Amino acid sequence: MGWLALAGALILALAGACTAMPGGLRAGLAAQAAGMALLGAAGAVALADRQSVGSSWHEGASPALGLDPLSGLFLALLALTAVPTLIYARAYLRSPAAGALCGLFLLALTGVLVARDVTTFLAFWELMTLAPAAAMLVTRRDAQVRAAVQTYVAVTHLGGAGVWIALLALAAPGPLGAGAQTVVAVAALIGFGTKAGLVPLHTWLPHAHPVAPAPFSALMSGMLVKVALYGLIRVEFEWLGTPPRWLGFALLGAGLLSALVGVVSAIVQQDLKRLLAYSTIENVGIAVTALGASVLLLDPVWAALAFAAALLQIVNHAVFKTLLFLGAGAIERATGSVDLDHLGGLLRQLPWTGAAFGVGCLAIAGLPPLNGFASEWLTLQALAHLAFAGPVAGGVAGAVGLAGIGATAALALLCFVKVGGLVLLGESRREVPAVEVPVEMRAALAVLAALCVVLGVVPGLLIGSLAELAPGSPVVVSPAGLPAPALALVLVAATALLAWARGSRRAAPAPTWVCGQPVTPALRWTSAGFSKPLRLVLESAIRPQRALEVVRAGGLVQRVRYVRLVSSPVERLLYRPAIRAALDGAAHMRRLQTGNVRTYAAYLLALVLGLLALARMGALG
Amino acid sequence: MSVVAAAVQLSGVFVAPVLPGAVQVLKARAQGRRGPSALQPHRTLRRLWGKSAVDPVGAGPVYRVVPPLVAACLLAALTLVPVGGRSGGLGLGHDAFVLVGLLALARFALTASAWDTGNGFALMGAARDVMIAVFAEALLVLALLLAAQPAHSTDMVAMSVAAAGGDIWREPAHWCGLLAFALVVVAETGRQPVDNPDTHLELTMIHEGPLLEYAGRDLAYLQWAAAARHWVVLVLAAELFLPHWGPFALRLVLLAAGVALLCVALAALETAQAKLRILRVPGLLALGSVVALAGAAAWLAGVGT
Repeated sequence: MGWLALAGALILALAGACTAMPGGLRAGLAAQAAGMALLGAAGAVALADRQSVGSSWHEGASPALGLDPLSGLFLALLALTAVPTLIYARAYLRSPAAGALCGLFLLALTGVLVARDVTTFLAFWELMTLAPAAAMLVTRRDAQVRAAVQTYVAVTHLGGAGVWIALLALAAPGPLGAGAQTVVAVAALIGFGTKAGLVPLHTWLPHAHPVAPAPFSALMSGMLVKVALYGLIRVEFEWLGTPPRWLGFALLGAGLLSALVGVVSAIVQQDLKRLLAYSTIENVGIAVTALGASVLLLDPVWAALAFAAALLQIVNHAVFKTLLFLGAGAIERATGSVDLDHLGGLLRQLPWTGAAFGVGCLAIAGLPPLNGFASEWLTLQALAHLAFAGPVAGGVAGAVGLAGIGATAALALLCFVKVGGLVLLGESRREVPAVEVPVEMRAALAVLAALCVVLGVVPGLLIGSLAELAPGSPVVVSPAGLPAPALALVLVAATALLAWARGSRRAAPAPTWVCGQPVTPALRWTSAGFSKPLRLVLESAIRPQRALEVVRAGGLVQRVRYVRLVSSPVERLLYRPAIRAALDGAAHMRRLQTGNVRTYAAYLLALVLGLLALARMGALG
Repeated sequence: MSVVAAAVQLSGVFVAPVLPGAVQVLKARAQGRRGPSALQPHRTLRRLWGKSAVDPVGAGPVYRVVPPLVAACLLAALTLVPVGGRSGGLGLGHDAFVLVGLLALARFALTASAWDTGNGFALMGAARDVMIAVFAEALLVLALLLAAQPAHSTDMVAMSVAAAGGDIWREPAHWCGLLAFALVVVAETGRQPVDNPDTHLELTMIHEGPLLEYAGRDLAYLQWAAAARHWVVLVLAAELFLPHWGPFALRLVLLAAGVALLCVALAALETAQAKLRILRVPGLLALGSVVALAGAAAWLAGVGT
């Protein structure tokens, strides 16, 4: 297995180098896919056989690599999402530099998963952050991309300082005291949470994910946030020892907040890719809620099942979010637009792309019998079991979590029925018909859609092995309440039977009913119109800003202009005051820079005298 | 696992349309009219079965597949709900959250059909329906939690068994659960004060909006599905939150009496209460959720040490 992984990594690295050469883009991407497949096979073997190869985490600064079942799971997931993405990229990417950066990105993700000491982890972590930023700048050069990359790199580094603090503290020799452990836990939560997109550290995500090229958006939403969650799980659940109870409450609260804020922000979006980026925040929130439940549950069997619920949500979200982002890229290629109000009717114009995108929408809405329902069901079960027994605080947290996840599920249903309806159904809102995309892109989408169906119909195979990855490795039996294969079979069979019984007698085609008027484009429902009832109800939370301008001439209305803007409360209440305070502080500090050499010499003299005084008093040890 | 229970569950296919019919009769009598008979929905379904479907211009395959799909979801939901504390063993288990998922799939499908026809009234109704569903689903999940806490499981048969007898009525959590589930019944069946099932004005429709573009057998499937929703929530309410005890035969009789009592209560509520303004419905449902949360906390405080 170790040789398999090494071979895969070598092929990936070489293929990445080949991709950068002129004319080698398509062949290089195919070779990268082969390398990723080998790495994924190695990971799957590690997960299935529960073997470890290489070293485990050790303190000190000498590089070490290792592969154990948890890393194997994430590696297999990376391969499962990256291989279709690379096939898709063969037809989508046009510049060799972007292709080579894709290989570098995948290598960095793999490196983070197999790193077992602080230097390797941090090196690959930084590489993993910078590779997509470089890819974004390579493919587009306008001001929006530059601003997005600036926000992305700045915020992830500021939050990522938490990762550095946590890992350097863990790498220090000797056991950690209780205070140091709390500092490491908080730092890791902030650091990995920023990269994963937990609220309120999430603002970079909706700016950065949409502007990247579609394969990179898919890998960022699909795997980058998952690797951040992997880091969170590793540090909080394994390398730090048993997680403390306050961490469970923190994870549960942050997860619920992320889920609700993410999905409500997604509902008010009109740009398809930004909507998908906010939806990533929501799904990460659900996974983190399940992690919190696994810390708070006292029953070891259900704690392991809650851990499995988090991992299952991670696996399922990687698959269907990759599918949705690649589908959005295909739609952009076919129609030239990702504006929800200017698409429509794509299920008929692009049958394969449309059907795959539709399966993705059904899966992310958490509907049986697809994979989103399985992980949501298990998360709800874990939270319910938290609320059945045990201390009152944990139980009430479980009940609140249950209500929150129930509301999130219904909000996700609203969001994705809107997306599916506007993009795929009804009549086309464009004059120019959509052009079907190349076969490689369609094949990648079809493979991912099939994966969604398979993971939905047989989740029981995965739940058992995921529960065994929980800390403490208890022996668990998969819960028996979800008969997924029977459910899928009954639904399909019953629908077919009822459709046959209905027969096909129908009247002649007639326009839909709009009180007898002819159907005009002005009567079409828009994205904002469909989400209006929800926005009105949540108005006190969302606080949209509206401007209405009516121009009259001669007593008649000539023109009406209506602008509505929903700004993020986190940006308004947290980031803007913080940025303003930082800039004000910098303005004050600028007074120290007088430009006079004598003042600077006086600063140095004061510093030296101060240090000498401290050394004389013995404060410097 | 019981053949009699399976037979009762499957008889729900035919008994379900009687429930909204019974509520209509009781409402008519309360309002001083004679009203139609309780079998009128059956006659409506028979009449619709003989008519042809429509074909809206621009609608695609999703429009055509939605009525059988919605009917299939509710048919599967019928086999999930236990009767008399036993399940029919028809292969889909009896987990409460699977039931929630099936109802969500039915709602998604109906909203998708509204998008496929592009009908403004259908989309308006669908938009309001999914907005109310956000709060109704949180409330439903909490109410099911309150029933699941005494049983330590979300298995509906275990929940029904744990709610039997008289001891459970000493727990304040059970009374909170009764109140919360009563609100769930009103929201899921689309009755006043949440929604007006008798309205014929398109602008006031909520869950009936997407039904406007269907006729013939498609409409028969969708109206049957609405009646099946009545069966599912009323039987679940009687099984989990109304008093029941004794052997299986007595439980079945008590179930029938409980469902009849709930129909009377629904008719009384609809006669006494006007429809709430739609933007205030989430407030009502949130109030129900707070009551349910208080009940859950009370149970934990009483049991946990």
